[in-house]
Amino acid sequence: MKTISAWLLWLWVSLVILGAFYYAPPAEGFQGGSSRILFFHVPMAWASFAGFIAASVWSIRYLMTRDLRHDRAAEVAIQLGLVFGVLATVTGAIWARIEWGAYWNWDPRQTSILISLLFYGAYLALRGAVEDPEKRARLSAAYAILGLVVTPFLYWIMPRLTFSLHPEPVVNAEGKPKMQSEILQVLMASGIGFTALFFWLHNLQTRVQALAERKSAAREQGYGA
Amino acid sequence: MLRFENLRRRFGRLSVLEGVSGEVAPGQALLVTGPNGSGKSTLLRCLAGLLSPEKGTIEYREDDKVLETDERRRRVGYVAPDLALYSELTVAENLEFFARIRRTSPAWGFEVLERLGLPADRMGGALSSGMRQRLRWAWALLHRPRLLLLDEPFQNLDAPGEQGTRDLLIEHLDQGGLAVVANPSSLEIDRVAGHLRLG
Amino acid sequence: MLQATSVLAKPSAWGSAEGWAAEVIAVFVKDWRCEFRTRYALNTLALFALTTMVVMSISLGPIGIDRTRGTKVLPVLLWVILLFSVSAGLPRAFIQEEESQTATALRLSATPSALFCGKLLYCLTLVGALELLVTPVFVTLMNLEVISPALLVGTLAAGGYGLAVGSTLVAAIIAQARTKGTLFSVLAFPVLLPLLLLAVELTFNAVAGGGGGVALPQLLLYDASVTVVGLMLFPVVWNP
Repeated sequence: MKTISAWLLWLWVSLVILGAFYYAPPAEGFQGGSSRILFFHVPMAWASFAGFIAASVWSIRYLMTRDLRHDRAAEVAIQLGLVFGVLATVTGAIWARIEWGAYWNWDPRQTSILISLLFYGAYLALRGAVEDPEKRARLSAAYAILGLVVTPFLYWIMPRLTFSLHPEPVVNAEGKPKMQSEILQVLMASGIGFTALFFWLHNLQTRVQALAERKSAAREQGYGA
Repeated sequence: MLRFENLRRRFGRLSVLEGVSGEVAPGQALLVTGPNGSGKSTLLRCLAGLLSPEKGTIEYREDDKVLETDERRRRVGYVAPDLALYSELTVAENLEFFARIRRTSPAWGFEVLERLGLPADRMGGALSSGMRQRLRWAWALLHRPRLLLLDEPFQNLDAPGEQGTRDLLIEHLDQGGLAVVANPSSLEIDRVAGHLRLG
Repeated sequence: MLQATSVLAKPSAWGSAEGWAAEVIAVFVKDWRCEFRTRYALNTLALFALTTMVVMSISLGPIGIDRTRGTKVLPVLLWVILLFSVSAGLPRAFIQEEESQTATALRLSATPSALFCGKLLYCLTLVGALELLVTPVFVTLMNLEVISPALLVGTLAAGGYGLAVGSTLVAAIIAQARTKGTLFSVLAFPVLLPLLLLAVELTFNAVAGGGGGVALPQLLLYDASVTVVGLMLFPVVWNP
């Protein structure tokens, strides 16, 4: 069953990639074929954000059950959220360079995702600084929940600030052009694909970490490698 | 009444407590002995609610009512080498502060100070190790706990100090209190319920 | 003589509100008493803030920042000074307890919510003292003209509260980790960022003459949210 769904996922994402380059036309108002980046950049940003939400949910579940498996799930979700988030930021910057001439524009979305990267990094830094598993789980779960509470404020504040504080606001109209249906289809499909990819990787990584822990525990008890 | 079963606690790869069980009834003391690193302090910390065991249960009842960990934590009297009080406050200020925190009167704590011969106006930071140990006892007994968890309770005490604290322990047991004592250097009292040897 | 029944003789004291408030005050008084005897936090905050301001004033002065540019930049600088001073001096509220090993005694005796509120009150007064020191000096050194001082005071109050409550909670978290000093800034900055943005915006409005707008309610909401979350999370952070 797992193998079949893995193959299905591969097929889906491959179709998405093909669709991104051959099925969907270049969007109007964007330079050349650069709009195709959106098919990858936007879903990765969604997946990264989904990872943050998932990590917070797992953190809450850990605090309620004190089951370390939830803690592991939260940690992996943040790790993957960081990876997807970095990729989203980089692809976004490349696209920004093509569209607006500069890699960084203090656009609200660019800045928001950068700040969430800071959160992920802080979470992982905290984990690295606590050795005891129970304490580590407790403290990082608390920090994840704190992050969850604080992040919505960023989303409310950001769009307002780039108008009022910066002299030349570079407004991003991304997401609002009337999308041709093919573009929308590929974008949605890509969104599904990347989210599925995220959770598939999450599943793999949590299992790998669980196995690694069992292995080191067994070795310590003298059962051999 | 205190009962703990199958306690397990590791630190990283090191298994410090494995399948540790024991029981203490009112008026009794449980002695915990073992070589260095055998988990005596860890056991006491688990019983005090300062550490949570990975596996196993701790059941503590007062008057047939089971107390949750949060309540148990505030009810125990704990003496341990790594427990410190505020060095910027005097002995008296320390006791008064903790009495207020515990919402009780510091009167008994001051009485213990007097019995152990510790002047109340000394700065916490200016105490010798023997005086610090006396202060730990006064702090532990401040709220008249029914369960005493004592880790190396007579450490650094001279003969009068040791006699005074031992008398306090015996009185505690006589009144129906319980105690778990680790590393009792020279404790021979006939209320010892059992011996738990670790390691 | 030990009276075993006396422990249970005052059940009301455990749950009463007056008892809780007295605990909060006790923690607050204890922290200030220790602080007055060492003056560590006050010195750190004051020295850090003053040094930073002097450096800023010197580097901006000779360049001769003109009035319009100044109004845009100076609100940011003010809050940067406050943020960095707080990072230097506030975490000690919890780190000190862990490092001098008094935390164990607190864990075994204090009600977590009362402890949190007591520490929060202490940190609030520290931040208040810091702002009282910094703001007049800053306004004078930088020749800042403030059009609505009422809004500035309100922003300092609400923003200062946010700094205190966020820092108190993060300090409680990192106090139990290693590398506490650098870790505080790493963890606190993302959490405090919305607060900073709102405070800067409101300070800018106070200087340039705008209203509170939508930012002021958002700032108050931030303060309330972090307080509630702090009260909920602190027992988890503090006790195993």
